[in-house]
Amino acid sequence: MKNSTIRAVALSLAALAIMAVRGVAQESAAMPQASALAEQNLRPYWHVFAAYALVIVLIGGWAVSIARRLRAIEDRLAD
Amino acid sequence: MNTYLTQMWAIIWKDLILEIRSRERIAAMGAFAVLAGVLFNFSIDTTTTRPQDVAAGLIWMTLVFGGLLGVGRTFHLESQDGALQGVLMSPAPKDAVFLAKTAANFALLYAVSLLVLGVFGLFFGVGPGQNLGWVVLVLGVGSLGFVALGTLFAAVSTGTSMGETLLPVLVFPLLVPMVIYGAGATTWLMNGRPFVEVEGNVRMLGAFALAAVAAGAVLFRYVVED
Amino acid sequence: MSTAGMRRGGTALVVLGLLGLIALYWMAFFWVSTEVNQGVVQRIFYVHVPAAWTSFLAIGFAALASGMYLWLRDDRLDRAALCAIEGGLVFATLVLTTGPLWGKIAWGTYWTWEPRLTLTLLLWFIFVGYFMVRNSTEDPEKGKRFAAVVAIVGAMDIPFIHLSVIWFRSLHPEPVVAKPDGPTLPGDMLATLLFGVLVFSLLFFGLFLFRYAVEGLRAEADLRARSVA
Repeated sequence: MKNSTIRAVALSLAALAIMAVRGVAQESAAMPQASALAEQNLRPYWHVFAAYALVIVLIGGWAVSIARRLRAIEDRLAD
Repeated sequence: MNTYLTQMWAIIWKDLILEIRSRERIAAMGAFAVLAGVLFNFSIDTTTTRPQDVAAGLIWMTLVFGGLLGVGRTFHLESQDGALQGVLMSPAPKDAVFLAKTAANFALLYAVSLLVLGVFGLFFGVGPGQNLGWVVLVLGVGSLGFVALGTLFAAVSTGTSMGETLLPVLVFPLLVPMVIYGAGATTWLMNGRPFVEVEGNVRMLGAFALAAVAAGAVLFRYVVED
Repeated sequence: MSTAGMRRGGTALVVLGLLGLIALYWMAFFWVSTEVNQGVVQRIFYVHVPAAWTSFLAIGFAALASGMYLWLRDDRLDRAALCAIEGGLVFATLVLTTGPLWGKIAWGTYWTWEPRLTLTLLLWFIFVGYFMVRNSTEDPEKGKRFAAVVAIVGAMDIPFIHLSVIWFRSLHPEPVVAKPDGPTLPGDMLATLLFGVLVFSLLFFGLFLFRYAVEGLRAEADLRARSVA
């Protein structure tokens, strides 16, 4: 279970990274102006990506912590 | 029903007698209320802030912190020498014990809250004016809600190894409605607004207090059982 | 349900939830139309609101299980409440971290006393109080009873907190009022939101079942250790 969870988390992170790159590319293509202005306009995108990454980190973190506790208990029961 | 009230009264009377003789909690809470008023006086620059704008909020904060000081020790004395077992093993039902403890705490906190009102009137020259009766009512309803939640969770925190330090963590999030409605109504009343404008607030405060008393009466038996 | 059955059910729900999460991300990033007033940042909505929904589901479920525990004294009910509270803490943390990220763009500040955000903060503290009470008693039975009381009173207080923070807000209006969800939500946004709620609920219940199975095994291990000693 643990491996499959980690794999799923890694896959989602990779998908997120691709989306982030695409979003940045689109935005910078549309806004070839002063970099300060571009930075201002990109800020919402970073907030959205941070929020969606947090979802994966927190839920994934909970899943991993459950898996670790499960492993520890199974070791105890196996003794 | 009659025996229920008699049993309750016996516990209330015992607690009040104990308090009148030892003056332990009332002295601590009263001194806290006066000293908090002194400290607020120095922490607020009255040349930039009008006392009547913040007085109601400060009165309620003094009430909450001073109340924790006293209510947190509701079961302290009795649990130290095992007298709590005696009270709980008496024929009085557990909810009567809770209601009696809440009533005794209420008498204590209500006295302190009126003292706080007087202290602020004396130190800051702010008062409820012609709304005095309504402010006294609001403080009473608020104190009732506070002691109901406070007594229930004082029983919980006395049973933990953290003791009274746990009480604010448990009670403060739950007290938010009481502070919002109570301080809101008091601010308006102290600024001379008529009672009708804050009637909704006071009703919500009353509903909160009643719900807290009912929840405490039902759940108290699960906290103290052995 | 047996422990193995719970783990199978949990796995199925978690896998479904993860597939749904990928689909939700696709919908939220590429499919749903951008909200006109707030722009792209409004897309946080599709994880923020489902997370909030899930954390309130968790406290309701935990309070119900706690009440039943006090009545029936079945340890399984107490374990269910504990696991639901733990999940609720995770999802409430999610609400409290994604909310300011959204608020910084929409309102220009990380934190406002927006009623629902305030309510979630207080809910978070109720969850934390649950664990503090539970972990600071020497007698585990006592800890279970105390924690159940905290969960029940916390759930009962939520309507009061909700009403009072809305009233408080109406007294102190914010300078920039951006309504996070208008009364008329366009169809594709509503579909994405509802799908998000479904996905988060699946993940919550899947992981909850797993967590519950772990707690069951732990009780078994404790029992075995006690019988040996």
